[in-house]
Formats: sequence, C-alpha cells, structure tokens
Amino acid sequence: MFNNKEKKPYGLIASFKNITEACDAAEKVRDAGFKRWDFFAPLPIHNIHEIMGLKRSKVSVITLFGGITGFCTGMSIVYYMNAYDYPLIVGGKPFFSPIFPFPVFYELTILLASFGAFFGMFLTNLLPRHNHPVFNHEPFSKASDDGFFIAIECRDPLFDKSKTETLLRDLGGTEITLLDH
Amino acid sequence: MSQPASDSIKKFTTLALIVGLLGLGIAGYGVYQGLLHHDSRPLVSWLIGFSFWFSISIGMFFLIMLWYVFGAGWSIIIRRQLEHALAAIPFLGLIFLPLLLVAWFYKENPGILWEWINPEHPLPGGGTVGADTIYQTKAPYLNLPFFTARVIFYFTAMSLIAYLLRKCSFTLDKDGDARWVLLARKVSAAGIIIVAMSATFAAFDFFMSISYHWFSTMYGVWFFAASMRAGIAATFLLCWVLACSGQLKGLFNRGHQYELGCLCLAFTVFWAYISFSQYFLIYNANIPEETFWYNLRELTIDGAKSSWWYLSAYGLVFGHFLFPFLYLLFYKSKVKVYRMVIITCWILSFHLLDLYFNILPNKMVADNALGYTITPFTVTPFDAAALIGVGGICIWAFLRSMVKQEPIPIRDPFIQTSIHHHG
Repeated sequence: MFNNKEKKPYGLIASFKNITEACDAAEKVRDAGFKRWDFFAPLPIHNIHEIMGLKRSKVSVITLFGGITGFCTGMSIVYYMNAYDYPLIVGGKPFFSPIFPFPVFYELTILLASFGAFFGMFLTNLLPRHNHPVFNHEPFSKASDDGFFIAIECRDPLFDKSKTETLLRDLGGTEITLLDH
Repeated sequence: MSQPASDSIKKFTTLALIVGLLGLGIAGYGVYQGLLHHDSRPLVSWLIGFSFWFSISIGMFFLIMLWYVFGAGWSIIIRRQLEHALAAIPFLGLIFLPLLLVAWFYKENPGILWEWINPEHPLPGGGTVGADTIYQTKAPYLNLPFFTARVIFYFTAMSLIAYLLRKCSFTLDKDGDARWVLLARKVSAAGIIIVAMSATFAAFDFFMSISYHWFSTMYGVWFFAASMRAGIAATFLLCWVLACSGQLKGLFNRGHQYELGCLCLAFTVFWAYISFSQYFLIYNANIPEETFWYNLRELTIDGAKSSWWYLSAYGLVFGHFLFPFLYLLFYKSKVKVYRMVIITCWILSFHLLDLYFNILPNKMVADNALGYTITPFTVTPFDAAALIGVGGICIWAFLRSMVKQEPIPIRDPFIQTSIHHHG
C-alpha cells in the first residue's frame, strides 16, 4: 500500500463461441510461441495438453522422490532402532534384514509418495490461491456453462498489448478485455 | 478382409496346428519315456507347458469379465481379440487330459506327478503316503475321484462361460440388439466368481498338491496375480501383432496401449504384493510345517544355497518385480510401442520362471542322510516342446475363431468410445 508504482495488468482474455473454434485458436496461440497463457472450458478435453503444447507435469518426479525418501527413512529407522541403538533379537531373526521391516518402509514409501503427489500438485498449481484475475471478467461466469476462454498473461515475453489483441481477434475471439490483478 | 490376407491366415492356422501337434507329440513321447524310466520330469514339462498357456487364458478371461462388469468403453476393440483367445479353453482341457489319464492308469509308477494319488508311494525318510497322518487328514479332499470331478468341473464351467460370452458378443454383431451386452454383463458377474474359484482350486490341485504337506491360502491369489500379468502381457503382444499386420491396423492406438501399460504396472505390484506376503507370513511365523517349502527352494542338502535361491532372489525379486516396476513407472515406457513390446516379452519370460519355481522343486527319494534330493532347475527339450505345442494349439484355436467373425464388435453400443479412446 506504500508502493505507488502502477500495477501491471494480468493479461488479455478472449471468449470463443464453441469448442472447435477455441481449440483451433489455442493451437494457433501455442504455435505463436506463447508460454504463459491458459485455456478455460466447461468440459474436459482429452488431448488438451497437446493442443496447448504443455509439457508433462513435474508431480511424478516429486512423487518419486517422496517415495525414495520414505523408503530410506523406513529402512534407517529400523536399522537405527533394531541393530544400532538397542540391538535386539526378535523371533530368531537377524538384527537387521530387509525383509522384516517391510511393513515399515513399505508404508512410509507410500505415505511420503502420496505426500509428494499431494504437495507437488499444490506447488505446481501455485496453490493455495484465493482469487484469480479471470473472475473479475463478467462473461467468465459462462466458463462453467458454455463459454470457452483463452487468457494470455502480460508476463509472457511475447506479450504486446495491441499485437496480442489483434491475434486473439483474428482467431475469432470476442469480448477481448484487459484484466486487472 | 481381403482374399490374400485371409489366405495367409489360413496357411498360418494350418501351420499353428501342425506345430502344436508336433510339439505335443514330442512332449507326449517324453511322458512315455518318463513312465518307462519312472521319471516324473517329462510330466512336469507337460504341466509347465500347459500352465503357461492356461494362466494366459485365465488372465484374458478375467480381463473380459472385468471389462463387462465395469462397463469399460475403451477396451472393446481389444475384448474381441481376447474372445477369440477364449476359444482355446476347451482344448486346454483336452491337453490336461493325459495328465489325468496317467494319474488313473499309472498311479503305481514311482515317477508320478502328484505323489498323493498312490497310497503305496514311498516317502523320503521312510513310510508311505497311505500311512502318513497328514495325508490321511487331507484324504477327503485329495483323492483321485474327487480330483477328477474337480478338474472336469473347472474345464466344463470355464468352457461354458467362455461359450456364453463369445455367443453374446458374436450374436450382437449380427442382430445389433444391445440386450446381449446386458446378458454378457450378467454372465460376467457370475463368471468372475466361478472362474476365480476354478483358478484358485486349480492352482491348489495342479501345483500346490505336488508338495501336499504344504499349505498356503495365498497360493490361489498368487496364481490369479501371475495369470493376470501373463494375460495382460500376452494381450498387449497380441494387439501389437494384429496392429502391425492384421485387423487392428490403425485401430489400436496410443490410448489403448497406455491403458494396457497401466494394467501391466498395477498387476506387477499386485503380483509382488501377493508373492511377498506369502513369503513374509511364513518367514515371520517360522513354523517348520510351512517353511520347508521355501527351504526346498533355498538350500541344497549340504546347506549351501541352491540354484533355486539365486533364481528366486535375483530372477523373481529383481527380474520379475523390481525391473518391470521401475521400467513401467515411466510414462514413456507405456506409450512407446517398442518399449512395451520389450517389457511384455520380459514379463512373460519371467512368468515362465515363476511357474518353474512354483512347480518344479520337490523332494525325490534318494540314498543319502536326509533320504531325499531336491529337483534342480533344468530346462529340458521336452519343456520347450510342451510350451511350443500347447502354444500352437492355442494359436490355432485363436485363428480358427478369428477368421469367422468381425475384427471388432461393430455394433456394440460403446464401440465409438473405444475407437476414439485417447490416452
């Protein structure tokens, strides 16, 4: 509130009549080289990642590392307790073996892998966030009914207000609006 | 289908039949020699050859019924191929018949497969099966007439369900009446229970009863899990072959492949979970009545690790579980065709090793301190002959059914979902 610098707007949003036009437009936006932009539709579109040119999400890598951490933690817990800190023979088994602590490291692998998946999803989606600039756009309420939208952010290096507006208009976009934060 | 294509299929069908009969002939000669020389190894060859294809069929059987019960749309073009594969079930019953006949007519032969069928059969360390208290307690279940009745039930029930499922699907092609789908769903709902019971008790009867002292309630589930893995891997290879050169060209896409890859991964984990749980419970309880089955597969008579230990520790744990698991975790492994071909062939090979591990090691009466030796791991020419022979018959049954029907269920209500499935 002490910063008087004018806030940059969020970006441009355009509405599209139907799914075919919206997807065609999205492919053109992708081919134009935009990276920071989003596509909104009221229904799931199966190959949207190809249409938008999205890379695979990083959640799987975070999950894998969560799983590996869980595996190592479980193994070390049992090793530390049973073979190092307080060596104890239980049921004629050795002090340490990869077999009897199986339930421990197996459960920890699953637990931390799911934490990885859950929090990885949070991180990559930049959650939690309580509002999004597109909600300031009145026609956007149709996105849960029959409206298709493409929003291109100002942060994109290729963004140029007038050129991008022309691009969206040429692709068949209507109600093109500059969104504030 | 064009004329030259169907001609080449006809040629291939005849070839499969010839190879099948030839293979079974050689394996049958092995069984004959085994009976002459009181050696049970060729009978095991026959059983392994049979089990490999039997487990694949069981896996495919479950896939079809699960897809029906869940109303799966993506799998419909694949389901038709598996329905052709089910044509092999009655023939598998016929291939099992010689083992049953040997059990009935040569039970006095010391080289029998299931030693409990002969009460006079000597046990390692003295005594006979008939005088064995454990056998006497199990005799109401483990006796030849009841065993025969069960085997007849398994194959009749499974052939009947396979017949009904095939009939529903093939008649739908002709009259387009969607009620066939509902009927098939009802047959599947009942069929899952019947085939699950049959597969479970077949695993008890065919494999577990070879060491009849041993017992494990997870054994049936192990066989189910192993069958699913083999069935899914074989399904993928089948679709791949048909997509390269046959009726699925242009239909079998990346989406279907990805789903099959996911199933492959899921059942890799499930198989490991079941196989390990069986081991883990027995290891933790540490009761001699149960642990001996694993000891047979670990130690030689002088206490050193036997070949079975290396095969199970490295082959099964790392080869059959860890490698396919890590490999299939990657998205790319499931969508790149050649990567899936590699891993499905890999899984089928190790599935065969898993069958060897479960079927082959057994005590053989011998003249030493313990009174027995353990069957070592060997691959004989008769194993190969039985595998190829049974395979030939299954492929023959598949092709014979395939030429008569539409390549995909063209009038299934959800066929569009399957054709346009995206991964």
